[in-house]
Amino acid sequence: MIQVTHISKEFVSPKKYPGLKGAVKGLFSNEKVRKTAVDDISFHISEGEIVGYIGSNGAGKSTTIKMMTGILTPTTGQCLINGIDPSKNRMENAQNIGVVFGQRTQLWWDLPLSESFTILKEIYNVSEEDYKSRMDFLNEVLDLPEFFDRPVRTLSLGQRMRADLGAALIHNPKVLYLDEPTIGLDIVVKDKIRDAIRQINAQYRTTVILTTHDIGDIEELCSRIIIIDEGKKIYDGGLEELKNTYGAVRKVTMEVRRMERISEIDWENRLHANSSLFTVQTDSEKNLLTVSFDKNRIQVSDIISSVMEVSDVKDIQIQETELSEIVKAIYRHRI
Amino acid sequence: MKKFIRTYLPFASNELKRNMAYKGAFYLFTLCSLFGSFIQYYLWMAIYGSAQGAKLGSLTREEMVVYVFMSYVTSSLTMISVSRELGKDVVKGSVVMNLIKPIDYRLSLIAKGLGTMVYHFMMPGIFVWAGLEFYKWYALGLPVVNIGNLLLYVVSVIFSFFIYVLFDFCFGMIAFFTTYIFGMQMAKDALLSFLTGQLIPLSFFPEIVERLFEFLPFSSMVYTPVMIYLGKYGISELWFVLGRQLVWVVLLYLLGSLLWKQVTRRMIVLGG
Repeated sequence: MIQVTHISKEFVSPKKYPGLKGAVKGLFSNEKVRKTAVDDISFHISEGEIVGYIGSNGAGKSTTIKMMTGILTPTTGQCLINGIDPSKNRMENAQNIGVVFGQRTQLWWDLPLSESFTILKEIYNVSEEDYKSRMDFLNEVLDLPEFFDRPVRTLSLGQRMRADLGAALIHNPKVLYLDEPTIGLDIVVKDKIRDAIRQINAQYRTTVILTTHDIGDIEELCSRIIIIDEGKKIYDGGLEELKNTYGAVRKVTMEVRRMERISEIDWENRLHANSSLFTVQTDSEKNLLTVSFDKNRIQVSDIISSVMEVSDVKDIQIQETELSEIVKAIYRHRI
Repeated sequence: MKKFIRTYLPFASNELKRNMAYKGAFYLFTLCSLFGSFIQYYLWMAIYGSAQGAKLGSLTREEMVVYVFMSYVTSSLTMISVSRELGKDVVKGSVVMNLIKPIDYRLSLIAKGLGTMVYHFMMPGIFVWAGLEFYKWYALGLPVVNIGNLLLYVVSVIFSFFIYVLFDFCFGMIAFFTTYIFGMQMAKDALLSFLTGQLIPLSFFPEIVERLFEFLPFSSMVYTPVMIYLGKYGISELWFVLGRQLVWVVLLYLLGSLLWKQVTRRMIVLGG
């Protein structure tokens, strides 16, 4: 469905100098700064997949999306969306795609929402029956009727985002690009948007590419993620594999009554493991004992039972490494 | 063709609705600009009153009245800025929202301009025109405009509209390079009020300047249709000026396509 081969995008901008003196200097200098926003990225996405496309701010996510939608022309490389090169046939490609840029709207700002939908119906040449059946579906998953007759500028952000998502789907696109669709939304609306995306994907086998900073979006929606950083692809694979590769470390925190007896435990023996596979930290002020360990090699029950033998335990917390931790680690590692 | 109309017509009709949604602003704007026309009218009357001959710049006093108000009507119909929206779209980056749709951006802007044109025709164009004709007949004792001139005027105005929006589209491309266009627009408006004959009929200028101005596309925007309305052209001249308008439509269309192609290739859209 989507075939991206070795695309790169380089931006050239005039060099700016700091301060007033710099501003004057800028008027006369002709120096250019080259910045590679996307650097030799390739991937393939099949029909019906929901792919999370993540990276830190300025990593090149939106630039890639813009190249896939035909807004920007790649400096080198090529992408094919459903067999069409968007940089050459922008209009033809646009017929097959739906796009939501979370920070912008494609709706007519001053007019009632209903008007935007009727315009889009004509633009995409949607037949009357198709329009009806799709509107029924969208009304159901996005609750559009409650604000359908209000001018777009009077909608709340959550309503506007639902409306924008609906507008991007009115022509039943094969590929749906969502660039931060849940930005700035409250938890209830977020859930609604996620639900809608899931249902659309299930009902119409729409391929979805999602960029987001919200790890919840990724965990709930995506089976596959692509991580890019500084324009380069650094991970492409399943969500579970990522967690297994980077997130094997688990942490158990216990509040114990008799801290002084903890040192009596012979950890290596009790856990049947080499000391490199776990670390023990104690906080005698708060009576907290924290053990970090490789969950593939050490049983959590062994840790708990060995502690219980020497002391009462008031509280236990077991933490799995969250995706956000992994992503953070990956971003940091690159810097 | 049918699909083409179905695609772009909503842009026009929505622009019409949008204009109506902000009618307060429009009434004020209309009032202000009409006020300008009246100042011009009294100024010209004073000039004619103190002049020696009956004709100035080949226009009689009565023709001047018609010129002042018809140039107002004509410019409100034809000089509809698309560069303002283009500039705004570029500066804010919202131009991307147009590029993700299977539409030609320029055509959508022209369609929107057409919607505004229809609105200006109703409000206040037709009233000013009817008032003028009534005044001509009632106060000046002149015959009302003949139907042939009126029809030719309408044809010419349609050409003028396209010349202006196509030119303005090319002008708006500047926004891609400077990312700021407001000041340029002010300069453009000031310059155009001269070059189009909106402020002073081109026939008032020295002959060589008049020739030069007529050669430029701007004279076709206001001066040509108003002179047609006044019946100032003979048959052969008429074909010539209409042909010249058509040539400008074609040239500016081609220029716009070329610029757009160049500009979108090097476009940068940052952030979000």
